[in-house]
Amino acid sequence: MKHLTYLIIGIVVTVVFFILSCSDGFNIWEQLYFNQGYNDKMYNLSMYPVIAAITILVAWGGAAIYYYAINSVKFDRWYHWLAVLGVVAVLAPVVCYIYNDTVFAENGLMYVGESIQFEMQTVLFAALLYIVASFSMRWWSSNCRHTPLPQ
Amino acid sequence: MNMRRLPLLIACIALLAGLAACGGHGQLEKAVRSVLVNGDTTRAAYDSLCSLVTDNPGKYSDLLTPEGRVDHKKMAEFIENIGSHLRPPMHWDTRPYGGVDDLSLTVYFERSGSMVPYDQRGGGGQLKKAVNDLINHFPAGSKVDINIVNDGIYPYQHTVDEFLKDRDIYQSTAGMGDASYTDFQLIFDKILEAQRPGNVSVLVSDLIYSPKDTHGVSLDKIFNEENSLATRVFAKYKGKSVVVQQFMGDYSGKYYPYNGEPFNYSGKRPFYLVIIADSDVMDQLAQDKRYNGVLDASGMRNSYRFNQGVSTVDCRVLPEWKDNAGRFRVKHGDGIVLAKCEGDRQTGKLCFSLAANLGSLLKDDALLTNAANYDVQSVDGYTLTVQPIEQSMLTANNKEYLEGMTHLLTLTGDCKSPRDEVRISLRNELPAWVHQSSSDNDASASGSFSTTTLGLEQLLGGMFDAMKGGKSFFDVTIQLQR
Repeated sequence: MKHLTYLIIGIVVTVVFFILSCSDGFNIWEQLYFNQGYNDKMYNLSMYPVIAAITILVAWGGAAIYYYAINSVKFDRWYHWLAVLGVVAVLAPVVCYIYNDTVFAENGLMYVGESIQFEMQTVLFAALLYIVASFSMRWWSSNCRHTPLPQ
Repeated sequence: MNMRRLPLLIACIALLAGLAACGGHGQLEKAVRSVLVNGDTTRAAYDSLCSLVTDNPGKYSDLLTPEGRVDHKKMAEFIENIGSHLRPPMHWDTRPYGGVDDLSLTVYFERSGSMVPYDQRGGGGQLKKAVNDLINHFPAGSKVDINIVNDGIYPYQHTVDEFLKDRDIYQSTAGMGDASYTDFQLIFDKILEAQRPGNVSVLVSDLIYSPKDTHGVSLDKIFNEENSLATRVFAKYKGKSVVVQQFMGDYSGKYYPYNGEPFNYSGKRPFYLVIIADSDVMDQLAQDKRYNGVLDASGMRNSYRFNQGVSTVDCRVLPEWKDNAGRFRVKHGDGIVLAKCEGDRQTGKLCFSLAANLGSLLKDDALLTNAANYDVQSVDGYTLTVQPIEQSMLTANNKEYLEGMTHLLTLTGDCKSPRDEVRISLRNELPAWVHQSSSDNDASASGSFSTTTLGLEQLLGGMFDAMKGGKSFFDVTIQLQR
């Protein structure tokens, strides 16, 4: 029951993150980095939900791969888990940046500097979501359930 | 079921549910957003949106009529709903594309003694060109009627094509009515009374009030009469909008002054097109690209729109602009609110610009760009400058804010008060050109005779009094919060 509670909390946190990414009034992506013209374009072109979805999928996907695909005693140390976090924290902003750049280019817009600064947030959010996902799903892993902290 | 897969399964379901609830923008919504954001508000873009609807009747059944055609009213509401939630909110008037009937045109061509010299064979033909252009700027197939006016209104006996080709319109209409006087009261009354929804009536005239039996009557008395009749006639008909356009034309022939002997004059003289329509029809004329050239006719020297009521002006704050100083954040929602305002670190000044669409006011640029015509009220003493938006100012990144806008209103002030409210209003006054184009003596061709019209200020002043809706043409309020 305790493990299931962790899972539910993780899902709720992730869904709340997604909802706050779609919001006009309080948008979580506009709290750490704000440039009116850039953020307005992101909102108008409906890019926030996609950026959020990419971040969530990479973070949860990374955790799922670590706990269920890798799932090996050879890789059950905390630094193995941290290495996957590093991959997630790099992969998510890169994919988001490519998506941003593609949509802006389709609409004849140019926001290179702003996009790079904006994606710094994605590093943070992807890492946090990876931790959330890890603590949501690690309990059912046969070999890595004690990573990063012992159960 | 393998319990180890349970967390992933639940996670996927929860994420998909979240995506569906928050990010489920359909293809149509995405397409509308793209059109609005890119400023591609054209008929072709609207047609492509309609195709999207008709190609997916199951998905967009609420936007279709029972016969399977696009319900343009619902489509407009759908687009408006999306546009109003954008940053900044955007509006797209799709009425012209939505199966709206073409407007009809009724031309009232004045045939008084002093009008005949405008269309002499040796002249430049500006008068006839202005009327021909007006007719041609209505889409092919629009219903066009032509009437000759002086002491009454008489239908033109030939076709529109014959009118367009007619090289001597006054010769071919000789003998129609009494050309010795023009009864504006009767003419305006009949025009306004006869006007039906969707009709645009245009009086082509020199706007010189020349009633019957004026022998021995003082000019002041005539001017007062002219002023009050204009007020009386236009006050009777509510919801109307009038645009007066001034042109210059070659005049060659006898001029009949109010006081004094007729004399021959060759040179330029002003003439006018008085466009009368319901206010919503006038708005359509201003916005519908099919009628380009009607209200912004080539060769026009001055124009002025008389309107009843205060107009709503579309405004957008420019977040990125070269003149911006200090910092602010535009709050989204009702009204214009700038939050987290901070003055410039060096000067302490806050400077921001609004892109506004003043085109629908149909006021000349001299009036709109003169900051002295505006009232600006604020605690921190904000000052205003106004400049027209030029195509060269548009970049990909600011297009969203400048597209469809006509003027930049730039406000500068000390950012000292914790809260401030800047109110901008354009005073409702007759433009300077009316006074400059008016005279009270036309006895000789000397002085400003070539550019002035006897009693113009009194006639247009009477119309202004009848149609003056409020103290301002428009008001904009900006809330500033530190």
